[in-house]
Amino acid sequence: MAVLTDQDRFDTWAEFMRAVSDERDPLGNLSKADLRAAVNAVDTWVSDNTTAFNTAIPQPARGALTASQKARLLMFVVSKRFVRGV
Amino acid sequence: MATRAVFDAYSAYFPSANFPQLLTINTTERIPALAFDAATVEGCRWKIIAPQGLTGTQTAIITYCMASATSNKVDFEVSVQAITDDDALDIDATTSFDTVNTITAPTVPGTAGYIDQVTCTLTNADSMAAGDWVVFKLERDADDGTNDTATGDAYVISVEWRDAA
Repeated sequence: MAVLTDQDRFDTWAEFMRAVSDERDPLGNLSKADLRAAVNAVDTWVSDNTTAFNTAIPQPARGALTASQKARLLMFVVSKRFVRGV
Repeated sequence: MATRAVFDAYSAYFPSANFPQLLTINTTERIPALAFDAATVEGCRWKIIAPQGLTGTQTAIITYCMASATSNKVDFEVSVQAITDDDALDIDATTSFDTVNTITAPTVPGTAGYIDQVTCTLTNADSMAAGDWVVFKLERDADDGTNDTATGDAYVISVEWRDAA
């Protein structure tokens, strides 16, 4: 799977900063450039591990879900882990 | 120095695009503030009639706090447009701001929510004279990768305008 476009990465970076602003969530000593590098790296990791993620999903879900639905499923699981602080 | 005006969030007006969000901070006190984005250059304006007795170098003192950042720098810029009676400028169609005035970008407070005040010398004041219809434009220079490095929103609480009186 291809990585996000530069504009999509920029939008993700901007949206993340708005979200942490709304939640008053400090990012330590991180600069904007540091955070952007992290966004890029996470996107690259997702792209590099798409096949492994897909393989991890058992059948019949792997065959039944669309790529978009699988991504959404991952988002839900990660969000729940985030809420619980796991 | 004399204070000529103090502009707050509610008295700002906004362009059609790329403007800070008008919101309140402190859920109990609901302090009005202008939230300047960290990723996109956003700006707002305030208008006033230049008072009589205006003299000397003018400055703008920006009071702000950060939404979440506790390190790195934030950069603001102030531009001035001064329109004299009978000036040939169609304000319904265009603007005529002078060259932008810059600041020495401050390091943000070590605790989010703590205020900082940064001074911008208005060297370029568009030849402002008493009685002019004046517009001040405030922008966060979010695309300056060297001077604007703090993550998240910058909340501008007020801008004080001084002259040398």
